[in-house]
Amino acid sequence: MASTSGSVGAEVTGETCSSLAKSSLPPPRPKSPPEYPDLYGKRREAARVQMLEREIGYLEAKIKFIEGVQPASRCCKEVSDFVVANSDPLIPAQRKSRRHCRFWKWLCSCVPCLSLASFCCCCQSECSCHLRKPKCCNCTGCNCAGSKCCDGSCCSNICCCPKPSCPSCSCFRGCCCWCPDLSCCIPTCFRSCSRPSCLNKKSSCCSCNCKIRWSSCFKCPKVRLCCCFCNCKNLCSNPYCLAF
Amino acid sequence: MSVSELKERHAVATETVNNLRDRLKQRRLQLLDTDVAKYSVAQGRSPVKFGATDLVCCRTLQGHTGKVYSLDWTPERNRIVSASQDGRLIVWNALTSQKTHAIKLPCAWVMTCAFSPNGQTVACGGLDSVCSIFSLSSTADKDGTVPVSRMLSGHRGYVSCCQYVPNEDAHLITSSGDQTCVLWDVTTGLKTSVFGGEFQSGHTADVLSVSISGSNPNWFISGSCDTTARLWDTRAASRAVRTFHGHEGDVNTVKFFPDGQRFGTGSDDGTCRLYDIRTGHQLQVYQPQGDGENVPVTSIAFSASGRLLFAGYANNNACYVWDTLLGEIVLDLGELQDSHKNRISCLGMSADGSALCTGSWDSNLKIWAFGGHRRVI
Repeated sequence: MASTSGSVGAEVTGETCSSLAKSSLPPPRPKSPPEYPDLYGKRREAARVQMLEREIGYLEAKIKFIEGVQPASRCCKEVSDFVVANSDPLIPAQRKSRRHCRFWKWLCSCVPCLSLASFCCCCQSECSCHLRKPKCCNCTGCNCAGSKCCDGSCCSNICCCPKPSCPSCSCFRGCCCWCPDLSCCIPTCFRSCSRPSCLNKKSSCCSCNCKIRWSSCFKCPKVRLCCCFCNCKNLCSNPYCLAF
Repeated sequence: MSVSELKERHAVATETVNNLRDRLKQRRLQLLDTDVAKYSVAQGRSPVKFGATDLVCCRTLQGHTGKVYSLDWTPERNRIVSASQDGRLIVWNALTSQKTHAIKLPCAWVMTCAFSPNGQTVACGGLDSVCSIFSLSSTADKDGTVPVSRMLSGHRGYVSCCQYVPNEDAHLITSSGDQTCVLWDVTTGLKTSVFGGEFQSGHTADVLSVSISGSNPNWFISGSCDTTARLWDTRAASRAVRTFHGHEGDVNTVKFFPDGQRFGTGSDDGTCRLYDIRTGHQLQVYQPQGDGENVPVTSIAFSASGRLLFAGYANNNACYVWDTLLGEIVLDLGELQDSHKNRISCLGMSADGSALCTGSWDSNLKIWAFGGHRRVI
């Protein structure tokens, strides 16, 4: 019996030989990319290390600085001393009252509103003496909700008297100060709001003219604002979901 | 150096940074031997007491048709500028309540406004990422449109806050959602300095508020969504002078204390805090008592002496008045007669400290002043 592959192979046809050769080859596979050094990754890592080492320098400087820092108690003293040393127009001042002020208080308590040639007390709730001589308040005839009425020359609150001729607007001192649409209200007007068609027009989100050449006009401030984001081509999906 | 060696160095550096930060934190805690409230109690300070009519609403400024987001007083002459969701700036005479200007803005989404020191121009900014300058002497058309006299462009995010440098009409600082603050030259419209940003060490999230020192205009404070406040020197923009930690939420508002050496903050964590700029100490935390959820602080203002801290909150119409020395709430403007009907979004104290203006989502502004009686010697 012929044992050589060649003699055996000689008896096999060429076609069979070819298919046998094909089946013994591995399936084709794409070549792996060559092993280039990851320069981008290396440089990025180097940049991170550099930032950290810079941060170490700053922290060491901070630790050195804080060694010479005064304790918080001294800062608290400075705060307290400053507050006490400075007057404050909004804080009720409690001081002793002298005799003559008590006299005026008694006098004003007897008479609702006292007006003398030289002295005057404002007696809406209780009388008090003032260093300066204020004019009296004439609080009759005003219809100001929630604030003290006065003719404007008073020592205390200056109030507002709405003008009756501004029926649809809130007006103070004869000027039209509030209207549904600002265009109805001339800032220095002395007339009533006269344009009933001035309704509050709601502008759509992103009605921008895209003067800015960016792909996005707006970016939502913080995470609470959900949807005022536009590319100046499409309207915002829901202009009213703004928490803004 | 190979990547693996770099990664090893990175790990070592990270550990060193963490150790140093711990050491710094521990040293700071050792120096915090007291706070303002404990000190004041020990000194026997008397509490501030308000009578029922001591602080009253003496003006309601009506005219906006949307939420009021921002306001600013002039340094003199008692005028106020306000910005609203209705897309307008209104300039008010605070004494007479008259509107002197109603400016329709090119971009309705305004978040901040400011008066120049001379009171002749106003600045505003918002979602358009631009700070726009308007001259109040310009003539408006019938719609109230006033031409923009200068546009400060360059931010890559919304402009959250703007303030003119005291006594300098030509310089203004803005804060932005792009994590930076910028000092602008208004006359040229160009940036003078950028604080923070990609290549500099600064805030790592949106910056929401700035406050410039009145006693040293080279210094300003910024507050950010990264929960920190930072002190900057305009002469050295590369890095913040100091970073103030402590808050656990976005720092929405910052304001200098009247002495210029301290500043206050208001945050989403529901607290206001007082910090010392020279030492970095957190001197006091102002936190409302109660078991409820922490209500974000939207805005703050100090009274002239610093004894009172006014703080607007995001719930209803609350505006607490804190005694800064004793750390107690002495009044809630929201419970007074004529109070706002919705959230107070902005606060501002007049230059002489005699009046506080509040702006609200109810579209109104209100002016509060002392309405009580003072007994004098």
